[in-house]
Parts: sequence; C-alpha cells; structure tokens
Amino acid sequence: MSKRIWKVMVVLVGLALLIAACAPAATPTQAPTQPPAEPTQPPAQPTQPPAEPTQAPASGIDCMGAKPGDELTMLYQWSGQEEARLNEILKPLVDACGIVIKPESTRDQALLDTKVQAGTPPDIAFWNVAQLVQYQDKLVPMDTLGAHRENYADFFVQPGTINGKWLGLPVKADIKTIIWYSPAVFKAKGYTVPTTWEELDALVEKMVANGDVPWSMGFESGDATGWTGSDFIQDILLVKRGPQYVLDIIDGKVPYNDAGVKEAYEIYGKWAKDPKYTVGGAQGTLSTGFLDAIYKVFSDPPEAMMVRQSGFAGGEIARKYPDLVYGEDYDFFMVPGAQGLQGGADWMMAFRDTPAVRALVAYLSSELGGANWAKAGFDLSPNKGATGNYTDPALLKKGEMLANTQGFTPDIGDTIPGGFGKAEWTGIIEFINGTKDLDTVLAEIAKVQAEALGK
Amino acid sequence: MAKEAAYVPNILRQGRWVPWLYLGPALVLMSVFILYPGLNTLYLSFRNQNGSDWAYTTCLAGQPCWGIFENYRYALTSSIMRTAFANNLKWILFMVSGTVLLGLLIATLADRVRYEALAKAIIFMPMAISFVGAGVIWKFVYDYGSSQVQIGLLNALITALGGRPVSWLTEPQINTLALIVVGIWMWTGFCMTVLSAAIKGVPTELLEAARVDGANEWTVFWKIRVPLILPTIAVVITTMIINVLKIFDLVYVMTGGNYGTEVIAYRLYIEMYTSYNTGRAAAIAMVLTVVIIPAIIFNIRRFRAQEAMR
Repeated sequence: MSKRIWKVMVVLVGLALLIAACAPAATPTQAPTQPPAEPTQPPAQPTQPPAEPTQAPASGIDCMGAKPGDELTMLYQWSGQEEARLNEILKPLVDACGIVIKPESTRDQALLDTKVQAGTPPDIAFWNVAQLVQYQDKLVPMDTLGAHRENYADFFVQPGTINGKWLGLPVKADIKTIIWYSPAVFKAKGYTVPTTWEELDALVEKMVANGDVPWSMGFESGDATGWTGSDFIQDILLVKRGPQYVLDIIDGKVPYNDAGVKEAYEIYGKWAKDPKYTVGGAQGTLSTGFLDAIYKVFSDPPEAMMVRQSGFAGGEIARKYPDLVYGEDYDFFMVPGAQGLQGGADWMMAFRDTPAVRALVAYLSSELGGANWAKAGFDLSPNKGATGNYTDPALLKKGEMLANTQGFTPDIGDTIPGGFGKAEWTGIIEFINGTKDLDTVLAEIAKVQAEALGK
Repeated sequence: MAKEAAYVPNILRQGRWVPWLYLGPALVLMSVFILYPGLNTLYLSFRNQNGSDWAYTTCLAGQPCWGIFENYRYALTSSIMRTAFANNLKWILFMVSGTVLLGLLIATLADRVRYEALAKAIIFMPMAISFVGAGVIWKFVYDYGSSQVQIGLLNALITALGGRPVSWLTEPQINTLALIVVGIWMWTGFCMTVLSAAIKGVPTELLEAARVDGANEWTVFWKIRVPLILPTIAVVITTMIINVLKIFDLVYVMTGGNYGTEVIAYRLYIEMYTSYNTGRAAAIAMVLTVVIIPAIIFNIRRFRAQEAMR
C-alpha cells in the first residue's frame, strides 16, 4: 500500500515540476510590477561617433585645470546600454583632459546614503531631485563649479535650487505628456491630430460618433496599479491650470481637493469610466495591464484609437509589433494645449570641488555637452545645446517639445513623500471603480497630502 | 528517595546555575530575535514616521489627536484600516470555515474509498505551491479581458456559456471573496490532513457499537466522530485564524491591496516600505499582534490540556 502511495506521489511531483517548468514560457506578457524605469528606444542609431573624429579633441572643452590622470568617482543608476551611451557622451572629455573616470552603477539608494554618511561620497552622483534637498549641506553649488547657467531654462534651474543655492543640474530627462496613435489608422478613418484641447475633445466625440473607441486605458501594474491614471490627470491639470498649479500642489499651497483637481478628475472620469470612450469602460480601465493598454491601439484591428503614455511606449510598441514603422504605423503627439510638460529627470550633483569635477560639470552643461548628449541618443537633455542634435526621429520630436515648453513638472505622486503616491493611486482607483464619490476621494488624498507636507 | 540518595557525587549534583545553562541558548535567541525587536516595535509605535521624535509631533492643528498614541489613532480609526479590519474579518469567517468544513468533509469521505491516498495527495498539492505562485496562477484564472477574447479560465467558461464576463478582482463585492477562494484552495489540504489523522484515531469499536445500536451514518458522524475529534478541530481552527490574520502574499500579488481588498498585514507593508512611516507600521504590527494573541493563548491551553490527558 505505502509503496503505491509513493509511486503516486512521485508521479504527481513530477507532473508539478513539469507544469512549473512550462509556466514561465506561457506568461510572457505579464506586466512587471513597476513601469520600466527608462524608455528603451528602438536602436535606431548604431554606434555613431558622437562628434566628427577629425575634430580636434581639445576644441570646445575646457579642462578647468584638470590634469591627465586626475580621478573622478561617479555613482549612477544606469547600466548596460544606458551606461554605454553615457561613456559615449563623456569620451570627448576623457580624450581631451585625460581624466580617469571611476564609475559605480547601482539602483540602490542606500549605497549612496551609506557612502555619504561614511564621509566617502562619490565626486559626482546622478540621482533624483529629492537628494538635492537631502544633501543640501554637503553639495557644492553648481555656479562655483563653473556650470553654464545660460544653457538651461529657468524651470530646470528652479527645482535644483534649494534655499537659494543652485545645487543640481538635470542632465537627462524624459517626458510623459504624450499621446500615441497610429497615423495609418487616423488617415484611413479621416482623423487629424488635434492641436488644442478643444480639438482633442471634438476628435474624441467624433470617434465615439463613428463607433470607434477613442481611448485605451490600463491601470493594472501590480503594487503600483493606478499610476497611468495619475499621469493622465496631471496632464489635464497642465492643460487646464498650467505648470505653476501643479508645482503648488506639490508644495501644498493648493490642497488636492481644490476645484481645479476636481475638474481634472471629472474630465478624466468621463472618459475612463465609459465603454464608449475607453476599451471596456471602468472595469477595462482597472483590470487592463498598462502595457496591454498600449498594444490595444496598434493591434489589428485596433481596439482603440489613442493611448496616453510616456516615451517608453515607443520601445514597447516596437518590441511587440516589430513590423510597425515609426512615423507611419505609430507616432505620438503632445497632449494638446498642455502649458507645460510632465516628466522625470536625473540630476547631477557634486560632493567635491576638484578640477576634474569642474571639468565634467562645465562640459556637460556646455552647448557641446548638450549636443553630444543628444547625438548619443540617451533620452533627452534639458541642455539647450541638445536641441536639433538628436538623430532618432522620435527623440528629435520630443526634444523639440522639450525645447518649446513653458514648464516642466515632476510627477506629483512621486514627489510628495510619505505614502502620498500610493494614496493618490488608491483614490483614483476608487473613483474609477465607483466605490467612493469624488469629493470623499479627493478629501482623503488631500488629508494625506497635508500630513505628508506637514501643513 | 531522599534518604536513599544520601550520597551523590558532586559532578552529578545539579547546581543552581545548570538550568540556566540549558535555557541559555534559547533565552539568547529569544531575546535577540523576539524580545528586543518586539520591545523596539512597541517603542517605535509611539514615535513619528522615522523614529526621530514622539508621535504627537505628527498631529495636525484642527485634527483629532491621540497624543503619543497618534499612530494607533491611524491604525484603529482611519478609513483604510477600517476596510482592512473588515476584510480580515471576512477572511476569517469565510476562509477558516471554508477550509475546516471542506477539510472535514474530504477527510471523512476519503476515509472510505480505495484511492484515498491519491485523493488526499491531490487536495494537498496546492500546499506545496508558494503563495506568490498560487496568486499568479489564480490571477490568470480570474483574468478579465476588456476586449472580446477572454484568456481567463473563469471568464472564458462564462462567455462560452453565453454569460457576461466578470472582472473578478476589481468588482468590490466579489474580489475579496475571489481571493478567499484561492486561500481555501491552498489550505484545505492542511486541514484535511490533520483532521484525517484525527478521524483515523477514533476507535472503530465505538463506531461499530453505535451502528449495532441502530445509529445511521449521519448520527455516527455528528454524535461520535465530531465530538471525539473536537480538540483537533479547535486546534485547526485557531491555527487557521492565525494564518488568515497574517494573510499578505495573495493580496499583494493579485490585487495590490486595491479595489477595497486591503488587509492588515498588507497595510503594514505599505506603511513600512512604500510610505516609509515606521511609526504607523509599528503601531499596525502591535495591533495585529494583540489581535493574534488570544488565538495563540487558546492554542497553548488546548495543547496543555491534551498533554495533561496523556
């Protein structure tokens, strides 16, 4: 008897193992819990040299007294292809001045914190804007290091200015205020890209009248479910109220249950809850993965006409549908009427004042540095020198948008500390799910906002 | 005894400190890994979000304030924690009763069949799967496609039968129950195994005597079997209650605590690792501990009573 049990057990365990072994292959489209950290653009530009090789290396690069062999330690979150692009950007500086760069790559902020607390910070760190506040007493101001202030718009200098000191320089940015669509489908159906919010509204109504579903929305992102909704609502705020309003929410000057926020939620809710406006209505919005929402616009036949998603969507479309061509089968336009852009940036901060640090800061903030950043195709550079120097068509277009915008706001949820982001997502989900009325939802988020900011 | 043992060599004599020597390792381990963290958690629950000051400093003007117990005000009265408590109650009601009743039913039925081992092995299998794995599997079962194609098993069945697909994990009235079903699927095997062992311990003479006296199977089950295995059932119930109160993984994987599926342990995690608020997380941990303690005490009492009977 007991032998038979063992035989049965062995067969069952074997089966279980087989099933387990097959499982990963069967689930390739399962969305990761976090949005991909950075857009991975289709590798449009191969290993192009950043500048003409014939150009004299010293031209345009000021070594600020750095001597060959001077070491420069760096800490950043980039790795793989991102790191390769950074090296490409820094190569002219290394060649001209002979600086030896000692980089360290980690996604773990604890490493930076430990290094700073131990008194051995890196010379240069590329990290988030929050660290400028955190380390305001330990950082060397950018103007003492010879940064070229004139190459940056005010709204890029202002967030890096803490208590009157200009401590950080945004070297890399990506923008989120983008709507993706299929030019081919638009052409076939006679739709045109809107240039104002009213035109967008009219286009949406026209699509509904034609029996097309205008939007594809997808919240599902595991632990971070809801972030796509908060991005969309922030874009509506940028259209209706402008960047200063968004910054005031982040500061706590405007409570989250202000009339402007309510208006944005109502506009968004009209679309996100109704199956005429978005695929599957409220339950579709809630249960669709954020990547699946992108794919629905470019499937054949398309399930929806447009999806609002950050720059990384381009890479996702290219990966999912390798046959589609950028500019013909998929393209994007800025959320029409947005008075500013929403996006994220990586900030350069200096913990030491050495000639090598000065050389790096001066180079990256110079027009040449911006141009080289653009040529390397490492997302966008807020540096004015970058404009027009991108080689990838999508980056070129995004760079144009960045150069012409009137404001740049970080994500509200990511910037307010103390659990605000999660509370915002939860609130949006409850609003879309209809489990709570809008005023209650906004009041609850405003409460968390007040607690987090101590106001 | 004492008289006979007049002479005991010194080496065999147990000094006062010897018991401590035996206890030592356990005491050290318990103090380092249970006592100290426990006391520190209690302390942190009275502090602010990063432990740098007392909790009353986080009070806002014009808002209710419990002074040093401010974090407990959050843990006990905030709307999100009330949802969590309500959901944990649902989990206890449905999952504990579901696993114990199903476990008892299967154990009883399987007792009579030739393929008992196979049947029990199949029921027990889900126990071998991690919570995260089970969560992922069932997420596919419950999948809701906003378009025509339903890749979720359940919705595919429903649409094939002509019904309307249901978004199992986002509909507020259904989703917690949908999660509880997964919990039941996983833990029925455990209850079944323990109860099956107890059923096999019931003396056959008693059952046969009852049958000879004319009792039908129904009466035998309720009047003889169940009363005899009642202590085991009680242990299974309390163990399950403790398990269910700590439920986290399924909620984390399947809904991320959204759509009103929040539970206490999930909120604890969010406060600690997403909001970086150690004060609130510690307060929730203390509340959770206090809620679990009665179940633990009951379990220990039962255990002692059983030991005493031997």
